[in-house]
Amino acid sequence: MDVPVFTFSLPDFSYAFLSVLLEGVPFILVGTIISGLLDQFLPSKVMLRYLPRNPFLGACTAAGMGLVFPMCECGVVPVIRRLIHKGLPVSNAVAYMLAAPVVNPIVILSTYAAFRGQGALEMSSLRVAVAFVVAVLVAMAVHNLPLRRVLKPQILESVENMPDDEHHGHSHPVGLFSRLRAALHVAVSDFLDVMVYFVLGVGVSAAISTALNQEVLLPLALNDWLATASMMLLAFVLSLCSTSDAFIAATFVAFPAVAKLAFLVFGPMLDLKLVFIYSSVFTKRFILGLAVGLFVLIGLICVRLTVIGL
Amino acid sequence: MTLTARRYFQGASLAVWGVVALAFYYSGRISSYLHPDFHSWTVFSGFVLVLMAIGTVLLPVEEEHCDDDCGGAHGPTSAWGTALTTSLLIIPLLGAVMISPSQFGAVAVMNRGLADSITDLPGYVPFSEPPLPTEDGSIGPSGPSADLGSYLTRSPDGRIMASTMDLLYAANEPGLREDFENQDIEIIGQFFPAKKNNPNGDRFSLVRMFVMCCAADARPVAITVRALQPETFPDMSWIKVTGKATFPTEGGRTFPVIVAESVVPTEAPTETFMY
Repeated sequence: MDVPVFTFSLPDFSYAFLSVLLEGVPFILVGTIISGLLDQFLPSKVMLRYLPRNPFLGACTAAGMGLVFPMCECGVVPVIRRLIHKGLPVSNAVAYMLAAPVVNPIVILSTYAAFRGQGALEMSSLRVAVAFVVAVLVAMAVHNLPLRRVLKPQILESVENMPDDEHHGHSHPVGLFSRLRAALHVAVSDFLDVMVYFVLGVGVSAAISTALNQEVLLPLALNDWLATASMMLLAFVLSLCSTSDAFIAATFVAFPAVAKLAFLVFGPMLDLKLVFIYSSVFTKRFILGLAVGLFVLIGLICVRLTVIGL
Repeated sequence: MTLTARRYFQGASLAVWGVVALAFYYSGRISSYLHPDFHSWTVFSGFVLVLMAIGTVLLPVEEEHCDDDCGGAHGPTSAWGTALTTSLLIIPLLGAVMISPSQFGAVAVMNRGLADSITDLPGYVPFSEPPLPTEDGSIGPSGPSADLGSYLTRSPDGRIMASTMDLLYAANEPGLREDFENQDIEIIGQFFPAKKNNPNGDRFSLVRMFVMCCAADARPVAITVRALQPETFPDMSWIKVTGKATFPTEGGRTFPVIVAESVVPTEAPTETFMY
């Protein structure tokens, strides 16, 4: 019996929608609590003092920070938003945002476990390496862009209005309790702001992932280029968590390894829910450029890896 | 909109999300949505969100320290904007809570396709356990030939209480297969009508959902059941099948087929997912 390409069911949609919301909320919450604490307790100059001044070295350092401060793709956005506000160069923030969901010990281990018997060491190493390289390349591109083309006006305003000294237009409260109270309100504002985008993103993702007949993708597995593109599109639609996506990717046995690698690198950097979450920080035009750039860059790198026999 | 009114809207949004998380956890409904590894995260977020809601309402921010510019983004400041944000956060959540049947229906299962081999499942590795020590301390036979049969749970009438995963593993591992082949078994799953290879109309699929993280990544896993007569149950309803486990080989591939003696409706198990 032929199954239509697209069949929507409201109960199935609401079930998938709710399950991703319940899964994602704790991680966004942790991210926004960290964001509130950073706002009140991290002096702006501290980060700048320890990060390399050279843009390339700064991007490399930021892209590797996930090894020390692992974050998932949902939780990382409120954190980088706060770090940008505290004076972190936007290129470094983008490098951390793109790399941290992949270049972190939890994801490395889960990728290794998922690909046991399918070149686990090769796949987990290449996943980290490609994600790192892509994050640094995108960060360097961002470094050369004017901020007004990258950041939303209200974020840009907060960065531009930041004076050279520690403060940024208002004084921080004095005393631990007052600071914690202020951190709470910053965390609450960030949480609710990011959650609006998260809810919208998960809604679109759940609608497509439950309604799309996934068998339509199978014929594309026969060609490296089509397989890689279709696996990235699938990662975009499914909006999986980077800690578990390797287990899903490993089951696409009909697809070449390069396509699975593209799925594993592209998904944590850009998916449907992230498009909406990124909208809390970046301009629509930048997100569109980021999407196209990541798709082309990751696709090209992964397909070219066939030369090493992957 | 005044800061006070905004605080109350924020508190309401946080409270609703927190209460939903806690209600799912304490009612056990969370088991139908998330892998057990995530349950503690749910209860954690529920408590933290409720505490944050209380803190937001009862502990107003000192205005001299935080005007609308302090965070770079504090969300909407107009009454309409705040009301819209609150609605976007609460209405879809509560709507989904009310509509969601806590399990996938036939449409999602069809769209995802049925996995009928253990090798199709995430994280599968061939069975290769080290040898176990025997009672006298010597090393016993390794892997599949170990006496797993003695560990199988049996129903009061002596049938093996099998799971979908047991039979799929057994189809792929000759040593395990010996424990199940032609044995009387009892198994619970969800009814899904056979869409192909069913010339006599007496076959259907017994489906369970295999989950890595949450229901959104669930993969339907199916075993074929051959019944005495064509069976008609609502799609994806829970049924109990008793019969014999067989493992025919077709096209060089061995797969499990349950030759059913009885098929009856049953309650959903406490743990609806397989991991």
